[in-house]
Amino acid sequence: MLIWSTAAPAIGAAFAASLVEAVEAFTIVLAAATLRGWRPAALGTSAGIGALTASLVIFGPLLDTVPIQILQLTIGVLLLLFGLGWLRKASLRAAGIIPLHDEEAIFAAYSADACEAMSAHRASGDWLAATMAFKAVVLEGLEVIFIVIAVGAGKGLMLPASLGALAACTLVLVVGALVHRPLSRVPENTLKFGVGVMLSAFGVYWSGEGLGIDWPGQDAALLIFVVLFLGAGLAGAAMVRRPIPEVAT
Amino acid sequence: MKLIKEIGAELVAMFVGDGRLAVCVLALIAGVAVLNDIARVGPLAAGAVLVLGCLAILLESVRRGAAMYDR
Repeated sequence: MLIWSTAAPAIGAAFAASLVEAVEAFTIVLAAATLRGWRPAALGTSAGIGALTASLVIFGPLLDTVPIQILQLTIGVLLLLFGLGWLRKASLRAAGIIPLHDEEAIFAAYSADACEAMSAHRASGDWLAATMAFKAVVLEGLEVIFIVIAVGAGKGLMLPASLGALAACTLVLVVGALVHRPLSRVPENTLKFGVGVMLSAFGVYWSGEGLGIDWPGQDAALLIFVVLFLGAGLAGAAMVRRPIPEVAT
Repeated sequence: MKLIKEIGAELVAMFVGDGRLAVCVLALIAGVAVLNDIARVGPLAAGAVLVLGCLAILLESVRRGAAMYDR
């Protein structure tokens, strides 16, 4: 039976992180489609989804063969590296040290780069657009897969976490298909801050479990870690705060 | 081949965006493992070191990042 106090953080983290990744992939696929039409962009996207599915089919069953404590420790350490990295960047963005993430600006930059590359290799414009879409889908998709495994594998929550990620990707696809422009109104910077907090909290939790630490309060310890990392992220931003600079890529 | 190399490089960057942060996290995990398994300080103390260590690494990394952008 699904226990919501355990499942909700996993589903929420998978949904929010996947929303951010899907928005980033959509921006690049849209740039490819705007330059060369939807056919090469759709081909690159389909090939990317195919490659991700193949990697899941090949490597997914291997997860069951890894002893649980090694799996928890490995996932915990990777989550800490990934989550603290996100939280560090989000704190620096919140403090105005580095520019805020802006999908419109990223879309313009990718379009300009692709235009330049295509004018240099005019005959292979479709190939370049398809490759651009493929790379975006594979990279962002791998991050989604990692996050789903990381927040779901340790407690048998793979299915709920996968559904959270699928809901986010579907939402981006539907809204993106309707508006046909970069989804710049998604509060990506705030989401990234929140996801960094969640992933860091999960990272400490799983690393500890993998090292043989029984957290007091079991799963409730996760909520305390969330509060601590949220506080540290905000304190870090306040510690180095500057006036917010102009938005750039 | 170039595409695979690019994807590989970005995957590494996904986890090791800041090299010093990554080294500190790995050193902390190793230290906590030693405290828990060899020094036998008890799981609660080892857990507290892990949590506080991660918070300290984060704050130091943010401070260092800000100083780097100021230069």
